[in-house]
Amino acid sequence: MSEPIVQLSNVTKRIGNRTIIDHLTLDLHPGEVYGFLGPNGSGKTTTIRMMVGLMKLTEGQITIKGHSIADNFEKAIRQVGAIVENPEMYKYMSGYKNLIHYARMVPGITRQRIDEVVKLVGLQGRIHDKVKTYSLGMRQRLGVAQAIMHKPSLLILDEPTNGLDPVGIRELRDYLRHLAKSEGITVFVSSHLLSEMELMCDRVAIIQNGKLIDERVILQDGPAKDAVGRYRFEVDRPAEALELLAQHSAVVTKDGIELDTDRETAAWINAQLVSAGLKVYGFRTHVKSLEEQFLEVTGGETVG
Amino acid sequence: MGNFMELVRNENMKIYSRLRTWIMMGIMLVIMLAASIVVLSIGEGVKSMWTVLLNEVMAGTSLVTIFTVIVAADSVAGEFSSGTIKLLLIRPWSRSKVLLSKYISLLQFAIFFLAVLFVWTYLWNGIFFGFSSGSMQELTTEQATGSVWGYVLSGLGLQYVSMVLTTITISFLLSTVFRSGGLSIGLSLFLMFMSDTLAGLMSLIDKPWKDYFWFMQSNLTQYLNNASDVTHDHTIMFSLAVLIVYYIVFMFITWWQFTRRDITS
Repeated sequence: MSEPIVQLSNVTKRIGNRTIIDHLTLDLHPGEVYGFLGPNGSGKTTTIRMMVGLMKLTEGQITIKGHSIADNFEKAIRQVGAIVENPEMYKYMSGYKNLIHYARMVPGITRQRIDEVVKLVGLQGRIHDKVKTYSLGMRQRLGVAQAIMHKPSLLILDEPTNGLDPVGIRELRDYLRHLAKSEGITVFVSSHLLSEMELMCDRVAIIQNGKLIDERVILQDGPAKDAVGRYRFEVDRPAEALELLAQHSAVVTKDGIELDTDRETAAWINAQLVSAGLKVYGFRTHVKSLEEQFLEVTGGETVG
Repeated sequence: MGNFMELVRNENMKIYSRLRTWIMMGIMLVIMLAASIVVLSIGEGVKSMWTVLLNEVMAGTSLVTIFTVIVAADSVAGEFSSGTIKLLLIRPWSRSKVLLSKYISLLQFAIFFLAVLFVWTYLWNGIFFGFSSGSMQELTTEQATGSVWGYVLSGLGLQYVSMVLTTITISFLLSTVFRSGGLSIGLSLFLMFMSDTLAGLMSLIDKPWKDYFWFMQSNLTQYLNNASDVTHDHTIMFSLAVLIVYYIVFMFITWWQFTRRDITS
């Protein structure tokens, strides 16, 4: 795999004697959409605030394209576009003036570039209206516009789907994946909406009480052919089927049996069951949703 | 990286995009015009436009101070209460530079308002009482010499310096430390109005250390009356030295608070 673009190593944040983030280590690679999951209060926003230099690290180091956010802030942050929590803008100014404000802070952003991002987030019609007249979804779009305007290598979005309607969520998701895949931008998204993350991300990290408890790859093209999954066979006489499949560790469920196996073996098992005279009404894989996995690893806790 | 003046432009854009700023300007213009009209209709023995102008300008600077305090108090605290500070500080600029750009925009705001104040009162008083070059005798004492323009403008300049060294900087400090606009406006105005009272009280004390409080030295216009019958305990250099020491302390606390603290809003 390519060189990581962002590295968090042993990042720790203590406030008083409370440890909010505990030795968090993550590597993000160019062009990936990385999900950052955790229950409320698990330290997602604190981590993001440290990544963009709004909060100091107690221990550890964060580097972005090799520049330390603590020691070389201006160089490191140049690579970053972000929305931290809500996209709060100057309400008494128009969306356009807000963008000009941020554009002036990075050299080389032209008017054309501003118009381009405005069009990209679909705000052309309202960009000259004051932000106080915007809906939450429009503010979210304006937030995305200011974050991508200077073509960052790392885009950090904190709960980006907040306040967006289903169409907006879909558009954002497609757009983020497009940014990552065709422009090689690394996208770091935090959320507690698991189903969202499942559709959007290449990898997810799960944190709880400030500790990384799991990190896994999500396959956007569905499970691979040789992947082992949970297969469920609906049969008329489960006890007999269980006997027949003694060498597989199958279990009886309310309308059949269940076991872990791969695709080929599942087809073979089906043939065995049928030739033994059992009626097979159907069989299907049951892929665990991220939500189930999440509840499994966090122990169903919501607030740490 | 980048051009620092762009940051100042941003701060100015934020100040002048707000209706508040123009309401303050309107209030100042209306009050000054009304004062001239009142003097014109019921005033007696007005020697020239300059006597009216001088009084109006001196009263007007207090108004400008109050307005600048309001803008200064909101400058940092407003970014915190609206949450915009998070987007402002994640740009390739150090916190010190962002803070400096805010401070410069405040100094410019005060100069802009004072300039408008002067031009406005000059125009109306000229129209009402006749444009004249005036004489120092009518402004101060019989023996006074020098140019009227110089006298009035250096008066404005001293007011500006005193305002910058004390009230505006205190307000900016409170805004940064408390991160709350209301609290810093309230406290700064309280300190501003109390400083005369405190200075009056302190002058009753017969101890040398009383001279080292900033409010004992913040009235720099007392040095303007260069006539011989006015006596001072100190020189302007002494007053400035005291104020500058405070100024450095205030600025240091502001800078230190702004650059060190975590942004949690």
